[in-house]
Amino acid sequence: MEACHKLVLLRHGESNYTRDNLFCGFGNDADLSDLGEKEAAVAGQRMLEAGLSFDIAFTSVLKRAVKTLYLVQEELDCHWLPVVKTWRLNERHYGALQGLSKTETAKKYGEQQVKIWRRSYDVRPPPLDKDDSRFCGNIAPYRDFDPTIIPVCESLKDTVERMLPAWHDVIAPDVKAGKRVLIVAHGNSLRGLMKYLKQLSDQEIIRLEIPQGLPLVIELDEDLHPVRDYYLASEEDVKVAKTKVGVKDNVN
Amino acid sequence: MAKVHTVVLVRHGESEYNRDNIFTGWCDPDLTAKGQEEAKDAGKILQEYGFQFDVAYTSVLKRAIKTLYLIQEELDCLWIPVTKTWRLNERHYGKLQGKNKDETIKKYGREQVQLWRRSFKVCPPPLDEKDEHWSGNDKRYSGLSFVPTGESIEEASKRSLPFWHKHIVPALKSGKRPLICGHANTLGSLIKNLDPSSKIDLSDLSLPNALPLVLELDESFLPSQCQFLQHPSGGKLHKKRNCNS
Repeated sequence: MEACHKLVLLRHGESNYTRDNLFCGFGNDADLSDLGEKEAAVAGQRMLEAGLSFDIAFTSVLKRAVKTLYLVQEELDCHWLPVVKTWRLNERHYGALQGLSKTETAKKYGEQQVKIWRRSYDVRPPPLDKDDSRFCGNIAPYRDFDPTIIPVCESLKDTVERMLPAWHDVIAPDVKAGKRVLIVAHGNSLRGLMKYLKQLSDQEIIRLEIPQGLPLVIELDEDLHPVRDYYLASEEDVKVAKTKVGVKDNVN
Repeated sequence: MAKVHTVVLVRHGESEYNRDNIFTGWCDPDLTAKGQEEAKDAGKILQEYGFQFDVAYTSVLKRAIKTLYLIQEELDCLWIPVTKTWRLNERHYGKLQGKNKDETIKKYGREQVQLWRRSFKVCPPPLDEKDEHWSGNDKRYSGLSFVPTGESIEEASKRSLPFWHKHIVPALKSGKRPLICGHANTLGSLIKNLDPSSKIDLSDLSLPNALPLVLELDESFLPSQCQFLQHPSGGKLHKKRNCNS
Protein backbone atom coordinates (compact mmCIF):
# COMPACT_ATOMS: atom_id res chain seq x y z
CA MET A 1 0.00 0.00 0.00
CA GLU A 2 1.09 3.54 -0.57
CA ALA A 3 2.26 5.81 2.23
CA CYS A 4 0.04 8.83 2.68
CA HIS A 5 0.67 9.86 6.28
CA LYS A 6 3.89 10.66 8.10
CA LEU A 7 4.00 10.26 11.85
CA VAL A 8 7.09 11.32 13.79
CA LEU A 9 8.00 9.84 17.15
CA LEU A 10 10.69 11.17 19.43
CA ARG A 11 11.92 9.76 22.70
CA HIS A 12 12.94 12.58 25.06
CA GLY A 13 16.57 13.44 25.64
CA GLU A 14 18.70 12.26 28.57
CA SER A 15 17.17 13.05 31.97
CA ASN A 16 19.00 13.64 35.24
CA TYR A 17 17.95 10.17 36.31
CA THR A 18 19.30 8.42 33.21
CA ARG A 19 22.51 10.36 33.57
CA ASP A 20 22.81 9.10 37.16
CA ASN A 21 21.79 5.55 36.20
CA LEU A 22 18.56 5.51 38.23
CA PHE A 23 15.19 3.97 37.35
CA CYS A 24 12.96 6.88 36.50
CA GLY A 25 9.55 5.94 35.11
CA PHE A 26 6.01 7.28 35.54
CA GLY A 27 6.28 8.67 39.02
CA ASN A 28 9.53 10.59 38.75
CA ASP A 29 9.28 13.93 37.05
CA ALA A 30 12.98 14.16 36.33
CA ASP A 31 14.31 17.15 34.43
CA LEU A 32 16.39 16.96 31.28
CA SER A 33 20.13 16.95 31.85
CA ASP A 34 22.27 19.45 29.93
CA LEU A 35 23.00 16.72 27.40
CA GLY A 36 19.28 15.95 27.17
CA GLU A 37 18.55 19.57 26.26
CA LYS A 38 21.22 19.45 23.56
CA GLU A 39 19.79 16.17 22.23
CA ALA A 40 16.35 17.76 22.02
CA ALA A 41 17.70 20.74 20.08
CA VAL A 42 19.60 18.44 17.70
CA ALA A 43 16.44 16.39 17.17
CA GLY A 44 14.65 19.59 16.19
CA GLN A 45 17.46 20.50 13.80
CA ARG A 46 17.27 17.06 12.19
CA MET A 47 13.55 17.54 11.62
CA LEU A 48 14.17 20.99 10.17
CA GLU A 49 16.79 19.64 7.78
CA ALA A 50 14.39 16.90 6.72
CA GLY A 51 11.85 19.58 5.84
CA LEU A 52 9.29 18.34 8.37
CA SER A 53 6.51 20.48 9.71
CA PHE A 54 3.57 19.64 11.95
CA ASP A 55 0.00 20.60 12.71
CA ILE A 56 -0.22 19.20 16.22
CA ALA A 57 1.98 17.58 18.87
CA PHE A 58 1.25 15.08 21.63
CA THR A 59 3.32 14.46 24.70
CA SER A 60 3.12 13.13 28.25
CA VAL A 61 2.68 15.09 31.48
CA LEU A 62 6.32 14.51 32.44
CA LYS A 63 8.59 17.50 32.06
CA ARG A 64 11.44 15.65 30.32
CA ALA A 65 9.08 15.05 27.40
CA VAL A 66 7.29 18.42 27.59
CA LYS A 67 10.65 20.24 27.57
CA THR A 68 12.03 18.10 24.75
CA LEU A 69 8.99 19.07 22.68
CA TYR A 70 9.44 22.76 23.55
CA LEU A 71 13.08 22.66 22.44
CA VAL A 72 12.10 20.94 19.19
CA GLN A 73 9.46 23.62 18.60
CA GLU A 74 12.14 26.26 19.18
CA GLU A 75 14.23 24.77 16.35
CA LEU A 76 11.24 24.44 14.03
CA ASP A 77 9.92 27.90 14.99
CA CYS A 78 6.49 26.47 15.66
CA HIS A 79 5.72 27.40 19.25
CA TRP A 80 2.16 28.11 18.12
CA LEU A 81 1.45 24.38 17.52
CA PRO A 82 -1.41 23.02 19.61
CA VAL A 83 0.08 20.62 22.16
CA VAL A 84 -1.96 17.92 23.86
CA LYS A 85 -0.52 16.41 27.02
CA THR A 86 -1.74 13.06 28.30
CA TRP A 87 -0.62 10.85 31.18
CA ARG A 88 -1.27 7.89 28.85
CA LEU A 89 1.97 8.72 27.06
CA ASN A 90 3.91 8.70 30.34
CA GLU A 91 6.82 6.33 30.83
CA ARG A 92 6.15 2.90 32.30
CA HIS A 93 5.63 2.78 36.06
CA TYR A 94 8.51 0.92 37.73
CA GLY A 95 6.78 0.49 41.08
CA ALA A 96 9.08 0.15 44.06
CA LEU A 97 12.12 0.30 41.76
CA GLN A 98 11.53 4.00 41.14
CA GLY A 99 14.53 6.08 42.08
CA LEU A 100 16.78 3.07 42.70
CA SER A 101 20.02 2.57 40.82
CA LYS A 102 20.70 -0.56 38.79
CA THR A 103 23.28 -1.61 41.40
CA GLU A 104 20.89 -1.10 44.31
CA THR A 105 18.17 -3.01 42.49
CA ALA A 106 20.45 -5.97 41.82
CA LYS A 107 21.62 -5.89 45.44
CA LYS A 108 18.09 -5.74 46.83
CA TYR A 109 16.33 -8.21 44.54
CA GLY A 110 19.11 -10.30 43.04
CA GLU A 111 20.48 -10.31 39.49
CA GLN A 112 18.21 -13.19 38.43
CA GLN A 113 15.01 -11.35 39.40
CA VAL A 114 16.17 -8.18 37.69
CA LYS A 115 16.81 -10.25 34.55
CA ILE A 116 13.21 -11.56 34.67
CA TRP A 117 11.82 -8.03 34.98
CA ARG A 118 14.07 -6.94 32.16
CA ARG A 119 13.23 -9.75 29.75
CA SER A 120 9.54 -10.33 30.30
CA TYR A 121 6.59 -8.66 28.69
CA ASP A 122 4.02 -9.18 31.40
CA VAL A 123 5.86 -9.54 34.71
CA ARG A 124 5.34 -6.58 36.99
CA PRO A 125 8.02 -5.10 39.28
CA PRO A 126 7.16 -4.92 43.00
CA PRO A 127 4.28 -2.48 43.51
CA LEU A 128 4.54 0.81 45.28
CA ASP A 129 2.60 1.06 48.48
CA LYS A 130 -0.04 3.80 48.41
CA ASP A 131 1.47 5.18 51.61
CA ASP A 132 4.86 5.41 49.94
CA SER A 133 5.95 9.01 49.47
CA ARG A 134 6.70 8.07 45.84
CA PHE A 135 3.03 7.22 45.12
CA CYS A 136 1.87 9.86 42.68
CA GLY A 137 -1.80 9.87 43.68
CA ASN A 138 -1.14 12.78 46.03
CA ILE A 139 0.52 15.09 43.55
CA ALA A 140 -0.62 17.09 40.58
CA PRO A 141 -1.57 16.19 37.88
CA TYR A 142 -2.83 12.89 39.28
CA ARG A 143 -4.48 14.26 42.38
CA ASP A 144 -7.93 14.48 40.76
CA PHE A 145 -7.72 11.15 38.96
CA ASP A 146 -9.93 8.20 39.72
CA PRO A 147 -7.54 6.47 42.17
CA THR A 148 -8.08 3.07 40.54
CA ILE A 149 -6.33 4.15 37.35
CA ILE A 150 -3.16 5.49 38.97
CA PRO A 151 -0.59 2.71 38.58
CA VAL A 152 1.47 1.39 41.49
CA CYS A 153 3.60 -0.63 39.07
CA GLU A 154 3.40 -1.76 35.46
CA SER A 155 4.64 -4.53 33.27
CA LEU A 156 5.43 -3.49 29.72
CA LYS A 157 2.10 -5.07 28.78
CA ASP A 158 0.31 -2.77 31.27
CA THR A 159 2.03 0.27 29.77
CA VAL A 160 0.99 -0.71 26.25
CA GLU A 161 -2.61 -1.26 27.33
CA ARG A 162 -2.98 2.10 29.04
CA MET A 163 -1.15 3.93 26.24
CA LEU A 164 -3.29 2.63 23.38
CA PRO A 165 -6.50 4.57 24.16
CA ALA A 166 -4.47 7.76 23.54
CA TRP A 167 -3.62 6.43 20.08
CA HIS A 168 -7.09 5.16 19.18
CA ASP A 169 -9.21 7.94 20.64
CA VAL A 170 -7.06 11.01 20.21
CA ILE A 171 -4.01 10.68 17.98
CA ALA A 172 -5.09 8.27 15.21
CA PRO A 173 -8.18 10.33 14.26
CA ASP A 174 -5.92 13.36 13.74
CA VAL A 175 -3.48 11.36 11.62
CA LYS A 176 -6.36 9.97 9.55
CA ALA A 177 -7.74 13.47 9.09
CA GLY A 178 -4.46 14.43 7.44
CA LYS A 179 -2.85 16.28 10.33
CA ARG A 180 0.92 16.02 10.55
CA VAL A 181 1.53 14.64 14.01
CA LEU A 182 4.58 14.69 16.26
CA ILE A 183 4.64 12.53 19.39
CA VAL A 184 7.30 13.24 22.01
CA ALA A 185 7.23 10.61 24.72
CA HIS A 186 9.16 7.86 26.50
CA GLY A 187 10.94 4.62 25.71
CA ASN A 188 8.18 2.26 26.77
CA SER A 189 5.14 4.29 25.76
CA LEU A 190 6.64 4.63 22.28
CA ARG A 191 7.49 0.93 22.19
CA GLY A 192 3.86 0.30 23.00
CA LEU A 193 2.81 2.29 19.98
CA MET A 194 5.36 0.55 17.76
CA LYS A 195 4.16 -2.86 18.97
CA TYR A 196 0.63 -2.01 17.98
CA LEU A 197 1.43 -0.34 14.66
CA LYS A 198 3.89 -2.98 13.47
CA GLN A 199 2.05 -5.91 15.08
CA LEU A 200 5.17 -7.00 16.92
CA SER A 201 5.11 -10.07 19.14
CA ASP A 202 5.75 -9.92 22.90
CA GLN A 203 9.26 -11.21 22.28
CA GLU A 204 9.96 -8.81 19.43
CA ILE A 205 8.95 -5.75 21.41
CA ILE A 206 11.28 -6.65 24.28
CA ARG A 207 14.20 -6.56 21.85
CA LEU A 208 13.13 -3.26 20.23
CA GLU A 209 15.23 -0.34 21.43
CA ILE A 210 14.19 3.23 20.80
CA PRO A 211 17.14 5.58 21.20
CA GLN A 212 16.83 8.92 22.95
CA GLY A 213 16.73 12.06 20.88
CA LEU A 214 16.55 10.55 17.38
CA PRO A 215 13.37 11.36 15.42
CA LEU A 216 11.68 8.23 14.10
CA VAL A 217 9.54 8.74 11.01
CA ILE A 218 6.78 6.21 10.37
CA GLU A 219 5.08 6.38 7.00
CA LEU A 220 1.55 5.00 7.15
CA ASP A 221 -1.00 4.04 4.51
CA GLU A 222 -4.57 5.29 4.51
CA ASP A 223 -5.57 2.61 7.05
CA LEU A 224 -2.67 3.67 9.29
CA HIS A 225 -0.64 0.53 8.59
CA PRO A 226 3.10 1.20 8.54
CA VAL A 227 4.69 1.18 5.09
CA ARG A 228 8.21 2.08 6.17
CA ASP A 229 10.03 3.63 9.10
CA TYR A 230 13.41 5.23 9.51
CA TYR A 231 15.39 7.40 11.85
CA LEU A 232 16.44 10.89 10.80
CA ALA A 233 20.03 9.96 11.52
CA SER A 234 22.89 7.98 10.01
CA GLU A 235 23.21 4.25 10.76
CA GLU A 236 26.25 5.08 12.85
CA ASP A 237 24.32 7.65 14.94
CA VAL A 238 21.54 5.14 15.54
CA LYS A 239 24.04 2.43 16.52
CA VAL A 240 25.77 4.75 19.01
CA ALA A 241 22.48 5.99 20.46
CA LYS A 242 21.20 2.44 20.92
CA THR A 243 24.19 1.56 23.07
CA LYS A 244 22.91 4.08 25.63
CA VAL A 245 19.38 2.65 25.66
CA GLY A 246 18.22 -0.43 27.54
CA VAL A 247 21.20 -0.38 29.84
CA LYS A 248 20.31 2.43 32.21
CA ASP A 249 16.66 3.30 32.34
CA ASN A 250 14.63 0.46 30.82
CA VAL A 251 13.70 -2.61 32.77
CA ASN A 252 13.60 -4.78 29.69
CA MET B 1 -19.54 35.60 51.66
CA ALA B 2 -19.73 36.08 47.90
CA LYS B 3 -17.88 33.42 45.95
CA VAL B 4 -14.67 34.72 44.47
CA HIS B 5 -12.85 33.46 41.45
CA THR B 6 -9.27 34.37 40.72
CA VAL B 7 -7.62 34.70 37.33
CA VAL B 8 -4.02 35.74 36.84
CA LEU B 9 -3.15 37.66 33.70
CA VAL B 10 0.38 38.43 32.57
CA ARG B 11 1.63 40.39 29.61
CA HIS B 12 4.61 38.78 27.89
CA GLY B 13 8.16 39.83 28.72
CA GLU B 14 10.08 42.34 26.60
CA SER B 15 10.18 41.34 22.95
CA GLU B 16 12.76 42.33 20.31
CA TYR B 17 10.21 44.76 18.88
CA ASN B 18 9.46 46.27 22.30
CA ARG B 19 13.21 46.84 22.73
CA ASP B 20 13.50 48.38 19.25
CA ASN B 21 10.36 50.51 19.64
CA ILE B 22 8.53 48.83 16.75
CA PHE B 23 4.79 48.32 16.34
CA THR B 24 4.28 44.58 16.81
CA GLY B 25 0.66 43.44 16.54
CA TRP B 26 0.55 40.02 14.88
CA CYS B 27 4.28 40.06 14.05
CA ASP B 28 6.07 37.28 15.91
CA PRO B 29 9.34 38.58 17.39
CA ASP B 30 11.13 36.60 20.07
CA LEU B 31 11.67 37.55 23.69
CA THR B 32 14.90 39.41 24.40
CA ALA B 33 17.23 38.05 27.08
CA LYS B 34 15.73 40.71 29.37
CA GLY B 35 12.24 39.50 28.43
CA GLN B 36 13.17 35.95 29.38
CA GLU B 37 14.43 37.14 32.78
CA GLU B 38 11.24 39.15 33.26
CA ALA B 39 9.20 36.02 32.51
CA LYS B 40 11.20 34.00 35.04
CA ASP B 41 10.75 36.78 37.58
CA ALA B 42 7.00 36.70 36.99
CA GLY B 43 7.10 32.98 37.76
CA LYS B 44 9.16 33.60 40.91
CA ILE B 45 6.75 36.29 42.10
CA LEU B 46 3.79 33.97 41.58
CA GLN B 47 5.58 31.25 43.47
CA GLU B 48 6.36 33.63 46.35
CA TYR B 49 2.67 34.39 46.62
CA GLY B 50 1.81 30.67 46.55
CA PHE B 51 -0.12 30.70 43.28
CA GLN B 52 -0.89 27.40 41.60
CA PHE B 53 -2.61 26.85 38.28
CA ASP B 54 -4.53 24.03 36.67
CA VAL B 55 -4.85 25.39 33.16
CA ALA B 56 -3.29 28.11 31.00
CA TYR B 57 -4.29 30.13 27.99
CA THR B 58 -2.15 32.12 25.63
CA SER B 59 -1.96 33.49 22.09
CA VAL B 60 -0.27 31.91 19.07
CA LEU B 61 2.56 34.44 19.28
CA LYS B 62 5.87 33.17 20.67
CA ARG B 63 6.56 36.10 23.01
CA ALA B 64 3.50 35.09 25.03
CA ILE B 65 3.93 31.33 24.62
CA LYS B 66 7.55 31.49 25.78
CA THR B 67 6.73 33.79 28.69
CA LEU B 68 4.12 31.27 29.79
CA TYR B 69 6.57 28.37 29.47
CA LEU B 70 9.16 30.16 31.59
CA ILE B 71 6.55 30.94 34.24
CA GLN B 72 5.43 27.31 34.23
CA GLU B 73 9.03 26.22 34.63
CA GLU B 74 9.42 28.39 37.75
CA LEU B 75 6.15 27.06 39.17
CA ASP B 76 7.03 23.47 38.20
CA CYS B 77 3.77 23.03 36.36
CA LEU B 78 4.86 22.23 32.82
CA TRP B 79 2.22 19.48 32.84
CA ILE B 80 -0.80 21.80 32.84
CA PRO B 81 -2.88 21.90 29.66
CA VAL B 82 -2.16 25.01 27.59
CA THR B 83 -4.66 26.31 25.04
CA LYS B 84 -3.26 28.62 22.39
CA THR B 85 -5.64 30.83 20.47
CA TRP B 86 -5.37 33.62 17.92
CA ARG B 87 -8.22 35.25 19.87
CA LEU B 88 -5.73 36.19 22.58
CA ASN B 89 -3.27 37.64 20.04
CA GLU B 90 -2.26 41.24 20.36
CA ARG B 91 -4.36 43.75 18.46
CA HIS B 92 -3.50 43.68 14.75
CA TYR B 93 -1.70 46.90 13.88
CA GLY B 94 -2.22 46.75 10.14
CA LYS B 95 0.33 48.61 8.02
CA LEU B 96 2.06 49.95 11.12
CA GLN B 97 3.31 46.47 11.99
CA GLY B 98 7.08 46.24 11.74
CA LYS B 99 7.42 50.06 11.61
CA ASN B 100 9.44 52.07 14.10
CA LYS B 101 7.14 54.08 16.36
CA ASP B 102 9.19 57.31 16.32
CA GLU B 103 9.54 57.22 12.54
CA THR B 104 5.80 56.64 12.24
CA ILE B 105 5.16 59.69 14.40
CA LYS B 106 7.53 61.74 12.22
CA LYS B 107 5.76 60.54 9.09
CA TYR B 108 2.11 60.91 10.17
CA GLY B 109 2.26 63.30 13.12
CA ARG B 110 1.80 62.61 16.82
CA GLU B 111 -1.91 63.27 16.81
CA GLN B 112 -2.68 60.78 14.03
CA VAL B 113 -0.55 58.08 15.60
CA GLN B 114 -2.17 58.69 19.01
CA LEU B 115 -5.55 58.32 17.32
CA TRP B 116 -4.53 54.97 15.82
CA ARG B 117 -3.05 53.77 19.08
CA ARG B 118 -5.58 54.88 21.63
CA SER B 119 -8.88 55.62 19.97
CA PHE B 120 -11.41 52.85 20.56
CA LYS B 121 -12.92 52.65 17.10
CA VAL B 122 -10.16 53.84 14.80
CA CYS B 123 -8.38 51.23 12.67
CA PRO B 124 -4.75 51.56 11.72
CA PRO B 125 -4.06 51.78 7.96
CA PRO B 126 -4.83 48.32 6.56
CA LEU B 127 -2.23 45.78 5.53
CA ASP B 128 -2.58 44.32 2.06
CA GLU B 129 -1.84 40.82 0.85
CA LYS B 130 1.41 41.81 -0.81
CA ASP B 131 2.91 43.14 2.42
CA GLU B 132 5.66 40.96 3.97
CA HIS B 133 3.77 40.98 7.30
CA TRP B 134 0.53 39.68 5.76
CA SER B 135 -0.72 36.82 7.99
CA GLY B 136 -2.91 35.17 5.36
CA ASN B 137 -0.18 32.73 4.32
CA ASP B 138 0.80 31.85 7.86
CA LYS B 139 -0.14 28.24 8.62
CA ARG B 140 -1.22 29.03 12.15
CA TYR B 141 -4.15 31.06 10.79
CA SER B 142 -5.25 28.50 8.20
CA GLY B 143 -8.43 27.82 10.20
CA LEU B 144 -9.55 31.45 10.09
CA SER B 145 -12.20 32.39 7.56
CA PHE B 146 -10.98 35.96 7.67
CA VAL B 147 -7.50 37.20 8.51
CA PRO B 148 -7.51 40.80 9.78
CA THR B 149 -5.76 43.53 7.81
CA GLY B 150 -5.78 45.72 10.90
CA GLU B 151 -7.95 46.11 14.00
CA SER B 152 -9.31 48.90 16.10
CA ILE B 153 -9.18 48.31 19.85
CA GLU B 154 -12.91 47.63 19.68
CA GLU B 155 -12.49 44.95 17.02
CA ALA B 156 -9.65 43.26 18.91
CA SER B 157 -11.66 43.19 22.10
CA LYS B 158 -14.70 41.82 20.26
CA ARG B 159 -12.80 38.75 19.12
CA SER B 160 -11.14 38.03 22.50
CA LEU B 161 -14.28 38.28 24.61
CA PRO B 162 -15.99 35.16 23.15
CA PHE B 163 -12.95 33.14 24.16
CA TRP B 164 -13.31 34.32 27.73
CA HIS B 165 -16.95 33.23 27.87
CA LYS B 166 -16.51 29.97 25.99
CA HIS B 167 -13.37 28.69 27.72
CA ILE B 168 -12.28 30.63 30.76
CA VAL B 169 -15.60 31.06 32.52
CA PRO B 170 -16.39 27.32 32.24
CA ALA B 171 -12.93 26.54 33.58
CA LEU B 172 -13.58 28.80 36.56
CA LYS B 173 -17.00 27.24 37.06
CA SER B 174 -15.40 23.81 37.26
CA GLY B 175 -13.01 25.03 39.94
CA LYS B 176 -9.92 25.39 37.76
CA ARG B 177 -7.34 28.09 38.44
CA PRO B 178 -6.42 29.72 35.13
CA LEU B 179 -3.33 31.62 34.09
CA ILE B 180 -3.59 33.79 30.98
CA CYS B 181 -0.46 35.00 29.26
CA GLY B 182 -1.18 37.56 26.58
CA HIS B 183 -0.64 41.04 25.24
CA ALA B 184 -1.07 44.62 26.37
CA ASN B 185 -4.05 45.76 24.33
CA THR B 186 -6.10 42.60 24.33
CA LEU B 187 -5.63 41.84 28.03
CA GLY B 188 -6.36 45.44 28.93
CA SER B 189 -9.48 45.64 26.79
CA LEU B 190 -10.63 42.23 28.05
CA ILE B 191 -10.63 43.56 31.61
CA LYS B 192 -12.40 46.74 30.54
CA ASN B 193 -15.05 44.70 28.72
CA LEU B 194 -15.70 42.63 31.83
CA ASP B 195 -15.97 45.73 33.95
CA PRO B 196 -18.96 47.71 32.68
CA SER B 197 -19.15 49.89 35.77
CA SER B 198 -15.46 50.76 35.41
CA LYS B 199 -14.53 49.89 38.96
CA ILE B 200 -11.05 49.17 37.79
CA ASP B 201 -8.75 51.98 36.76
CA LEU B 202 -6.58 50.86 33.90
CA SER B 203 -6.39 54.22 32.15
CA ASP B 204 -3.22 53.20 30.45
CA LEU B 205 -4.01 50.06 28.44
CA SER B 206 -0.32 49.25 28.17
CA LEU B 207 0.23 46.69 30.87
CA PRO B 208 3.87 46.47 32.00
CA ASN B 209 5.85 43.55 30.60
CA ALA B 210 5.57 40.39 32.68
CA LEU B 211 3.98 41.88 35.78
CA PRO B 212 1.32 39.44 37.03
CA LEU B 213 -2.10 40.95 37.44
CA VAL B 214 -4.44 39.17 39.83
CA LEU B 215 -8.05 39.66 38.86
CA GLU B 216 -10.73 38.68 41.34
CA LEU B 217 -14.23 38.05 40.09
CA ASP B 218 -17.52 37.89 41.91
CA GLU B 219 -20.02 35.05 41.56
CA SER B 220 -21.27 36.59 38.30
CA PHE B 221 -17.70 36.56 36.94
CA LEU B 222 -17.53 40.34 37.03
CA PRO B 223 -14.29 41.93 38.21
CA SER B 224 -14.38 43.02 41.82
CA GLN B 225 -10.72 43.73 42.42
CA CYS B 226 -7.41 43.65 40.67
CA GLN B 227 -3.84 43.97 41.83
CA PHE B 228 -0.45 43.87 40.22
CA LEU B 229 2.02 41.71 42.10
CA GLN B 230 5.27 43.53 42.64
CA HIS B 231 8.62 41.92 43.22
CA PRO B 232 9.36 41.64 46.92
CA SER B 233 12.04 44.13 47.89
CA GLY B 234 14.68 43.09 50.36
CA GLY B 235 12.51 40.57 52.14
CA LYS B 236 10.10 43.22 53.36
CA LEU B 237 6.36 43.30 52.83
CA HIS B 238 5.40 42.80 49.21
CA LYS B 239 4.11 45.97 47.67
CA LYS B 240 1.01 45.61 45.62
CA ARG B 241 -0.17 48.33 43.31
CA ASN B 242 -3.88 48.27 43.75
CA CYS B 243 -5.72 49.40 40.65
CA ASN B 244 -9.18 49.77 42.18
CA SER B 245 -10.47 53.31 41.65
